[in-house]
Amino acid sequence: MPGAASRSLLIGPGTDDDQSCSTESIIYAGLHRLTSAVPRGWGAWMTTAHPALGLTGICKSFGGVCALDDVTLEVQAGTVHGILGENGAGKTTLMNIIAGLMRPDSGRMEIMGVPISTGSVRAARSHGIGMVHQHFKLVENQSVLENIVLAAGKSLLPRRPRKLLQDIDSWCRKLNWPLELDAPVGTLAVGRQQRVEIIKALCGGGKILILDEPTAALTPAEVDELAAAVASLARAGMTVLFISHKLLEARRICQSISILRRGKVVYSGSIADLSVEEIAEKMVGVKMDVPRLTPSARPTQGPPMLELVDVDYRIGKRRPPVLKQINLTVRPYEILGIAGVDGNGQSELAALISGAVNPTAGRIVRRSGGNASVPIRVGYIPEDRHKEALVLPLAVTSNLLLRQYRQSPFARWGFCRYGTWRKHSTDLVRQYDIRCRRIEDAAATLSGGNQQKIVLARELSQQPELILAVNPTRGLDISATAFVLRQLLEARARGAGIILIHGDLDELLSISDRVAVINSGALTATAWPQATPVEIGRLMLGGA
Amino acid sequence: MFKRFFGNIWSAAIAVALAALVCGVVLALAIGAAALLGYPPIRLADLWLRGAAGSWYALSSSCADACPLLLTGLAAGVAFRAGVLNIGAQGQFLLGALTAVALTTRMMIFHQPALVIPTALLGGAVAGGLWGLVAQYLERYRSVPVVLSTILLNFVALYLAQAALQGPLQALGTAAAQSPEIAGKYWLPLFVPYTDFHIGIILALVLAVLLWVVQQRSIFGFEARVVGLNPGTARAMKMPVTARQFQIMFISGACAGLGGAIQLLGQVHFMTAHMGNYGYAGIAVALLGRLNPLGIIISSLFFGFLDTGAYRVEESSLALPHNMANVIKALIILVMLVLAGLSLRKSRRADRRVTAPAQESAP
Repeated sequence: MPGAASRSLLIGPGTDDDQSCSTESIIYAGLHRLTSAVPRGWGAWMTTAHPALGLTGICKSFGGVCALDDVTLEVQAGTVHGILGENGAGKTTLMNIIAGLMRPDSGRMEIMGVPISTGSVRAARSHGIGMVHQHFKLVENQSVLENIVLAAGKSLLPRRPRKLLQDIDSWCRKLNWPLELDAPVGTLAVGRQQRVEIIKALCGGGKILILDEPTAALTPAEVDELAAAVASLARAGMTVLFISHKLLEARRICQSISILRRGKVVYSGSIADLSVEEIAEKMVGVKMDVPRLTPSARPTQGPPMLELVDVDYRIGKRRPPVLKQINLTVRPYEILGIAGVDGNGQSELAALISGAVNPTAGRIVRRSGGNASVPIRVGYIPEDRHKEALVLPLAVTSNLLLRQYRQSPFARWGFCRYGTWRKHSTDLVRQYDIRCRRIEDAAATLSGGNQQKIVLARELSQQPELILAVNPTRGLDISATAFVLRQLLEARARGAGIILIHGDLDELLSISDRVAVINSGALTATAWPQATPVEIGRLMLGGA
Repeated sequence: MFKRFFGNIWSAAIAVALAALVCGVVLALAIGAAALLGYPPIRLADLWLRGAAGSWYALSSSCADACPLLLTGLAAGVAFRAGVLNIGAQGQFLLGALTAVALTTRMMIFHQPALVIPTALLGGAVAGGLWGLVAQYLERYRSVPVVLSTILLNFVALYLAQAALQGPLQALGTAAAQSPEIAGKYWLPLFVPYTDFHIGIILALVLAVLLWVVQQRSIFGFEARVVGLNPGTARAMKMPVTARQFQIMFISGACAGLGGAIQLLGQVHFMTAHMGNYGYAGIAVALLGRLNPLGIIISSLFFGFLDTGAYRVEESSLALPHNMANVIKALIILVMLVLAGLSLRKSRRADRRVTAPAQESAP
């Protein structure tokens, strides 16, 4: 079997090829070779006690927010190992750490039992780790070969171009992927570009391949081809880490899985031991202390405030529509929850409802008290508060006034009346319990929960009739989450109609009057909150 | 009232103090370096100071030199604050001067100074503003970054000015690219006779204060700031983002154009294509003034004094080359940029810490 992969698989890490790895790891590798009897040949190698990849106690936090909490897992060689979890569970952070792109705050990493230094892409590469990012890292106007050379070259020119060509050739043969080396990458279809990425990663490493959400951009046929390729790689002794939040795919492709939830490994082991329902439950988790919709709350009534009739939305004429035939209505005194796996059209739906974009077909009617000519007051709690709701370098006061700064008590003759600003924001800070030292402090100095409270205070204080909230509790701790949900319930009790597009199924079910499920851009079903998370989870995944 | 005003001005004061500190340190170092080179340091400092502010005349020429710097500095400062990276003040300055020279030597309205001078100043401002709008148009509708188009348009403006000065605006009896001298009655009137104190200086100061008020106190200024800091939020808040960017670009270009017109009518009185690098220097002035119009007043005065003093030193028996002043300016800018870069990196790191967990984005 030609090529770098088979050779390094047989010899183990720290061979004469690894000029770039640290002295420390060379010594470790040497010790390892002396102390443990390195088995030669395939069968023996497959049965060694050492896992292909071992992580121990990996922690990583970004400013007070803990992204990974004591992650420990082992991946056996020659398997396809799925890393499952919701958005924000820490999957990508973990992969970035394995690939050396990020340095963990603490924890150790071993490859074939050899500790390797973390936080170094070179060290990871020299130990055979290659990563294919969700968003490809390709130079579009360069040829396929140039892209691969670019990644493989340690210096300006690859020292042994012929060997690289042989490598590419052998991998292409093994995977049965004909590759036009001279075609500019930009002219290839997405599926082909991914192949280039995979070959690139294989030539760079060849032992552990990380695929970050590889199927997100692929058509079903391309997914099948990819699955076959991954399987053949695993048969050849490679270890593949397959990141996904699509359960059915993972079940088809992976032999073992680890499930991450809020930065913790909640399950690690064979996938065959778990049913789809159990996996979904572990991914979503069940939390206890979430505010619930009380039965005594006022019933839904009145004419609809928002109606979407047969709405289609597409980006670009040649692409398939992102949203298809959406029909929904929201009435006063109700919360309409929209569940779905991320990336099924939620952000586009939010943009449509908020009025940022117009539908390609169909119509959107917003009525204030049944009257279509009166503009309705809309409160919008966007998914990304840093990009769409806050100006971080500005004071808390300014952020609280971003909606009303030009209205009557706050401005006169084109000038801001800062006195009224201060009074208004002092009130809001007290009312919504925003923890800040002074209201003149920049919003950037506040914690995520308090930043979200600024958004809530601003959007809810002007008594909106219609509220659109997208993942309003993402990244918040338990108390802030409860606060946000309680505020939404209070707004509902005041008579607002609320659309809640939310990834957290449990929270969604606990406060929604009705739940609709979005899948591949279509609202597939409207289930009532009596439905269990498992049933809705099945709808989210496209099952009937 | 007292506390509110000074509370508002507090951060500006800190910025000014910091800038003054940097300037002082660099100046002291420069004089030390000159001493090492064999120039008598005390005499040097004395000559420099007296050259810059030793007499009414020296003072006035320092201020007159600071005046175009103040206007181009405002042009850069106003634009940068709103996230419009206009580095084309040089071109806008030249076009402003060109328009002013055309209006005072070729199209004099009724030959009345009371009409010609305001028209020339206004015309210069409008020309600079429109030149800026070209770049903003290219960014908005043709996706050409303003940074690129403004810097390229500087060259277009330069050659346009040269063509005009060798064509319709050329002075009689010369082959050089040079306009005729403006008639004395169209010069900007002086408010202190026999000095360089022309009313353009007052105009520039008033404009700076006005811009400060607009920036700090008005709805327009607030919107411009939000647009500059976070266009996404501005759009979500239904602010007129595009309109504000165009307006800011026009104001910025108009400041630079007015600077050109004032320099022409108040100081040099005839135009060549080489009117000094006031446009580029304005960026430095704005950075030193921390993009605050009041800070820019101080930093432009500082640059003016430095320059004028350096010319006097060069003319004196010491004959220290005037480029020493440019070295000092460059050093100060460098230090300020490093300081700004440090604080920026710090805030960005904080920002990344806050945003990073949300990066696991949907496909």
